[in-house]
Amino acid sequence: MDGLLETLLADARLWRARGGTEARDPALCVPTGWPKLDARLPGRGWPLGTLIEFLLPETGIGELSLLLPALGALVNADDAGRRWLAWIAPPHAPYAPALAQSGIRADRLLLVGAEKPSDRLWAIEQALRSGGCAAVLAWLDAADDRWLRRLKLAAETGRTLAVLMRPARRRNDASPASLRLVLEPTSRGLDLWLLKSRGRGPSRVPDVLGA
Amino acid sequence: MRPATRSRVSPDVGRTRDLFEAPRAIPQAPVPRTQPAPRQLWLAVRLRALPLVALPRGAEGPWAVVADEGATRVLVGANAAAARYGLVAGQKLNAARALAPSLEIVERDPPREAQHLERLARWAMSLTPLVSLEPPDGLLLEVQGSLRLFGGAEALMARAAGELDARGEPCALAAAPTPRAALWLARAHHGTVVESAATLAGALGRLPLAVTGWPARALEDCTRLGLATLADIHRLPRAGLMRRFEATVLAELDEAYGQRPAPRRRHVAAERFEERLEPVAELDRVAALEPWCNRLLERLGRFLRVRDAGVTTLAFTLVHRDAKPTCVRLGRALPAADPFEWQNLLAERLGRLALPAPVRALVLRSGAVVPVAGTSGDLPGCGSEGPGSGAIWLLDRLRARLGEAAVSGVCLVPEHRPEAAFRRLRPEPAPRPGADAPLPDAPRPLWLLAAPEPLGRPRHALSLESGPERIESGWWDGAPVARDYYVARTAQGVRLWIYQDREASGGWFLHGVFG
Repeated sequence: MDGLLETLLADARLWRARGGTEARDPALCVPTGWPKLDARLPGRGWPLGTLIEFLLPETGIGELSLLLPALGALVNADDAGRRWLAWIAPPHAPYAPALAQSGIRADRLLLVGAEKPSDRLWAIEQALRSGGCAAVLAWLDAADDRWLRRLKLAAETGRTLAVLMRPARRRNDASPASLRLVLEPTSRGLDLWLLKSRGRGPSRVPDVLGA
Repeated sequence: MRPATRSRVSPDVGRTRDLFEAPRAIPQAPVPRTQPAPRQLWLAVRLRALPLVALPRGAEGPWAVVADEGATRVLVGANAAAARYGLVAGQKLNAARALAPSLEIVERDPPREAQHLERLARWAMSLTPLVSLEPPDGLLLEVQGSLRLFGGAEALMARAAGELDARGEPCALAAAPTPRAALWLARAHHGTVVESAATLAGALGRLPLAVTGWPARALEDCTRLGLATLADIHRLPRAGLMRRFEATVLAELDEAYGQRPAPRRRHVAAERFEERLEPVAELDRVAALEPWCNRLLERLGRFLRVRDAGVTTLAFTLVHRDAKPTCVRLGRALPAADPFEWQNLLAERLGRLALPAPVRALVLRSGAVVPVAGTSGDLPGCGSEGPGSGAIWLLDRLRARLGEAAVSGVCLVPEHRPEAAFRRLRPEPAPRPGADAPLPDAPRPLWLLAAPEPLGRPRHALSLESGPERIESGWWDGAPVARDYYVARTAQGVRLWIYQDREASGGWFLHGVFG
C-alpha cells in the first residue's frame, strides 16, 4: 500500500493542491538557484517533467541567466554525461564559452535548427519524449492548444526540464503549461510575474537576478 | 580443437616466411629452375593515366596533374586538350608552361588514386575473384580459373580492355604465368599474352631493362656493364650478380622468370549490402513504398545478423521510368543492425517525400559494414540498459527529418576572437574526454550575434557597466580584429556586449546580448 502511494505521489501528472508541495522532491524539481524565486514556487524549484513557459518582451533580457544555475546543476548531476542540453530553434547562437564559464560543458549542447513551425513542434516533442535530454529549451511563437497539450504529455513521460520561450504577446493565449511566467527587465535585474503556478494564484517576484 | 590445428600449421608458416620473404635467404648457387606449381596466368593492368582520371575534373581547357620530383615539378598526367599542345607525362612544368601558356595545374592526389585503384579492383572482381592491388598504378588478376568462361586469354584480355576503355581508363594489359613478368610486359607492350612458362623466358628476354622500375643506380650499373635487355642480365653468372646488385633486384628477376615464388595478397573489397526489388506494378503512392522498403530492410537485417555487424548509413534509390532516381539517405549515430530502428527513421522521411514519377524499382545500398557487439537495441525512454540510448535515438530521429546540417554540437576553441572561440560540429553521443579550452576571465554574453551589427541607437543612450576589454588578434590568418569591448545596459535593462572598432572606422557594434 505504501509503495503504491509512493508511486502515485512520485507521478509528475499528479497535481497536489496543498500540503507536500512545500517540500522539495529532488526527483521532481531542480532548485532555481535564486532563493527569492525558490520560495515562491511549489516544490521550491523548477518542476521537471512538465511544461514551463517563459513569456518574453524580447530576447536577451535575462531569460538564460535565470535558468543558468538550474541548467548547470542538471548537467553536472547527469553522471554519465550522456543527456543533451537541447536548444531548439534559438534566435541566436548560444555562446558556448559563456555557458562554460557557468559550468555547462560544451559537449552536452545540442543545437537544433528548425525553421518550419511544424518541424519545430515535432523536434520539441521528440526531444521531450526521447528521455535523452536533461533540459530542452525551445523557442516558439504561435502554437495551437492541441500541440501544446501534446508537448505537455511528451514532457510528462520523462524528467526533463522543459522550457518554452514565447513572446510576451502570447500571455493571453490558452496554455496547458503548469508554470507560466512573464519576464520583465528592470534596471535592477528581472521582475517575474507568475501567471500560473500549481496551487497558487498569480503573484509577482521582483528583482530576481539582483545581486 | 583450434589450438591443435594451429600448432600443426605453424611450422609450415614459419618455413614459408623464411623461404619467400627474407631476401638474404637466397642461396649462393643458381636457383634450380622450377615451374610454378599450380598453373597460373596473371593479367596485369597498368593504368597509364591514373593521376589524371582519379581527379574529378571535366574542364574543357588544357589541364595537367603535377607532382614534385626532387626539386623540379613534373607533369604526371595531361588531358586531351593539353596533349594537343604536345604535353606528355614526365615533362617538366616549366617546359609545359612554355608550350601551353593557358595550362591549368592540379596537384597530384595520391589518396584519391588509391581509392580509384580500389574501385577498379572491385570492377576486376567481375573477371576473377583473385585480384591484388599493385600500387601505385597497377592491378594483378589471376585469371587461370576464368579462361574457360571467357573463352581464352586473348578474349578475356579484349573484354577487360573494352570495359576499361568504356570506363575511360587508358591502360596497358599483359598476361604471363608470373605476376612480375605480367607487370613488366604490360609496361613494355600493350596486349602481350604469354600463356606457357616455356615461352616466358623468350618474351621477357627481349624487354629493355627500364621496364623493371629498378632504382636508378642499378639501371646505371647495368648500362655501364653493357646490359640492355633482361636476357642480358639473366644470362650472367649468378655469383657475380650477387656481388654487384641489391638482393631485391635479383629477387624480382627470379620472380619474373618463375624461379622464385611471388605470393600476392588477395584484395578483399569492403563488404556492402546491395539489393534491388522490382514490384510487379509501378508504385505511384508513397504509402505503397513502405512495405517494399521494409522487405529490403528485413533482408538487410538478415544480412547483418549473420555477420554480427551493423551499418551507420543507408541509401534507398527509387528508380522512376521518366525521371531521375530519387535518393533517400539515412544515417545513424551508432551502427545499427535492427531493421526496425531503420524503419522508424525511414517512415519519417517517406512521410515528407514527393515522388516525381511512379517508382519502378527500389535499390537499397548500405554504407560500410562494421562489427557491433551483440546487444539488442532498447526502446526509447526506458534506458535501463546503457545510459544515453535516448540521447542517441533523439539524434538519429532529428537528423533523419531535419537533415544533418540542422543538428549540431558545439566545441570550444582556444581563441581570443569571440566569434572564433567556438565551433559547430557533428554531435557525438559520448562525452568528449579531455579538458576544454581555457576560458576568458572577462564576462561573455550568453547570446552571440551571427555577425556584429552596427549599433542602431546612439551610444550615449546606453550606460557602460564595465570595460574596455581590448581584443586584438588574428593578424596571421587574414581576419584580424582590434576591438574594445564594453558591457552596456539599455534603458530597458537589457545588458549588451558592444565594441568599438579600433581600425579605421572607429564605429560601434553590437556583438552579443547577455541574456
